Amino acid sequence: MMLRTVLRNEWRLLRADRALALVLGVFALLFAYALSNGLAWVDFQEETLAAAREGNAERVGNLEAELQRIADGGQPSSPFRDPRSPSVLGGAPGAQTAVLDPGPLTALAVGQSDLLPYYYDVSIRTNESTFLQNGEIENPLNLLVGRFDLAFVVVYLLPLLILALSFNVLSGEREQGTLALTLAQPVSARGVVGAKLAFRAILVMGLALGVSLLGVLFSGGFGSPGRVALWCATVAAYALFWFTLAAWVNGLGRSSAWNATVLVGAWLLLVVVLPAGVNITAGLLHPLPSRVEMITAQREASNEAVNQRSELLARYLEDHPELAGGVAADEANRAALAWAATDAVNRRLEEVTSVHDERLGAQRTLVRRYRFLSPALLTQEALLDAAGTGDARFARFQSQVREFSERWQTFFVPAILTGELMSVDVLPTLPSFRFVDEQVQEVRARAVIPLAALGGLLVLVGAGAVVRLRRVTGP
Amino acid sequence: MSTEAVLDTPATGEAPPIPVRAAELEDPILEARSLVKRYGDIEAVAGLDLSIQPGEVYCLLGPNGAGKTTTIHLFLGFIEPDSGRVRVSGFDVAQNALDARRRLAYVPEQVMLYRNLSGLENLQYFAALGGRETLSSERLTEILVDVGLPLPAVGRRVAEYSKGMRQKVGIAIAVAKDAEALLLDEPTSGLDPKASREFSELIETLRGRGVAVLMATHDLFRAKESGTRIGIMRHGRLVTELSTGEIGHADLERIYLDHMQE
Repeated sequence: MMLRTVLRNEWRLLRADRALALVLGVFALLFAYALSNGLAWVDFQEETLAAAREGNAERVGNLEAELQRIADGGQPSSPFRDPRSPSVLGGAPGAQTAVLDPGPLTALAVGQSDLLPYYYDVSIRTNESTFLQNGEIENPLNLLVGRFDLAFVVVYLLPLLILALSFNVLSGEREQGTLALTLAQPVSARGVVGAKLAFRAILVMGLALGVSLLGVLFSGGFGSPGRVALWCATVAAYALFWFTLAAWVNGLGRSSAWNATVLVGAWLLLVVVLPAGVNITAGLLHPLPSRVEMITAQREASNEAVNQRSELLARYLEDHPELAGGVAADEANRAALAWAATDAVNRRLEEVTSVHDERLGAQRTLVRRYRFLSPALLTQEALLDAAGTGDARFARFQSQVREFSERWQTFFVPAILTGELMSVDVLPTLPSFRFVDEQVQEVRARAVIPLAALGGLLVLVGAGAVVRLRRVTGP
Repeated sequence: MSTEAVLDTPATGEAPPIPVRAAELEDPILEARSLVKRYGDIEAVAGLDLSIQPGEVYCLLGPNGAGKTTTIHLFLGFIEPDSGRVRVSGFDVAQNALDARRRLAYVPEQVMLYRNLSGLENLQYFAALGGRETLSSERLTEILVDVGLPLPAVGRRVAEYSKGMRQKVGIAIAVAKDAEALLLDEPTSGLDPKASREFSELIETLRGRGVAVLMATHDLFRAKESGTRIGIMRHGRLVTELSTGEIGHADLERIYLDHMQE
């Protein structure tokens, strides 16, 4: 009964207070803008992928037509681009486009999908450097600050809205003098504060979850109810954390100005300083090798390989004796020599990129270890994972592309070494790529840890709030 | 000073145990025993014993800092006593604050309301919090008008109210609660003479219904007019208790001033 009474009164107060209505209106606009940004990004990504697929189909179509023409007695259009040659059919002219479709909730959280490649043209030239490049050109400032998407609004701005609505939930009553009449009634300060915060939580979560569900609706993400539920649970837990923090600070019995200062300080510390500190520490302790170093290594290996092609081919065949039968290790088999050089460059690159991968792994381990310091880090991780734009899904995509690249090379390299010519009949037997997406159970299993940690923080702060508010018996 | 009785109130000491709910119907509605409240070295209430029966209007007189408001806050459970017990309708305030408050209505010296809401909306809110959520808007409007708020002001924002109008809304909140006991802290502060007179009549009505009233005031005239008993407090102690039926205004003023000069 008390809850209903307070909710009704809070609604009246909200309607009567233009400033509060204005704050809510501004945030509703921010949410809408963030959603439209996310939807625009998904449109862009889908258009890009459609163009990439179209280019791939056109490429394969041209090769097929030329192979058919040759089979019918025609001549290759160029002796250097004879599609029967396995190094042409398996190389750039016949490259297969491996595509990662947008995650089910990408419209809500762009994450690193604007930074990490979401398609690769896989050929026998694909090597480690392929995975370190992004084919799309993007405004570096956009990449630096990240997209203004719903995940950004939830992680960074939602706490500010919650604090703006809740910093004086009890101190304001005390300062305007209404607490005396309130606590003269058979209600506890804890109950009143809880009911007032419940009203704000309904508003804020209604806004955040409502816009999220609209985004899911517009982007067709209801096909992944598990991810939607995970998103909603994360948003709710994060919002409740800030509400309980506001309750706890109010329970300390200080002025509204003091509450505001402390809560904004907490926001700065937990949302800005700690995450930045963890990232900077990770970068300092495990610095990534420079790209210049990597490119230089690639060039040096490439030059060296070109100069020693015959030796490299002999060494390659020593390593792969099963391919040695029928291979002519002389200048006449240029394709075989070229492949030996490519393989040598790839090995050298693997050495360099393994250092990069190792340090990146160390950085991620460190960030994972210290993410528990900040609810913002935990929330961001869970939201990106729910949206399918987190590290895990990209790593899965790259891993499958690597595996596909190996299958592609395994298919073509023996033919390159033996100088075998291919026909149009080989096209249906070519390896193909289809991304096998992660199951929602895997996502859920990963999300348990950040969500449990967020829940733990919530319980801890909530217990503090209850203890403090129990002590408030008078104005 | 025929009925004057100086109370022998111990300054400190453990109060005897009190059951949570008293059994006898004739028990006082408001009762304090050996009540002590200290703020640092200062004893705001120093061993107060007080007992107010149904239909009794007890006026606490005393200078600023005498402990009147602290006594009221102790009855409301806003603050905890250092020792002693406070009971409302038999409920120990320390153990059952909410049960005690359910039986209490309170009008503070400065009635502060939600400025952006109307007087009626404020009354609806506080009445509902007090357990009277079933009262209709019409009935609440009647109560507001009965305590002297002009009808056109009922729906206006409280931000436009004078102090006296806010005070009337505070009194209306107390009336709407229909409580067994009424705690009044300088309730006529800010009221004009006519409203003060109406307030006295209201107190008389409530007294007739068996409500126990504890009123802290500086207003000797109002205390004499409305009260059935008067207690004079000084330095946290109840130094004198008088029955208003047996003294005149002049006697009261003289007794009061005598005690203030001691």
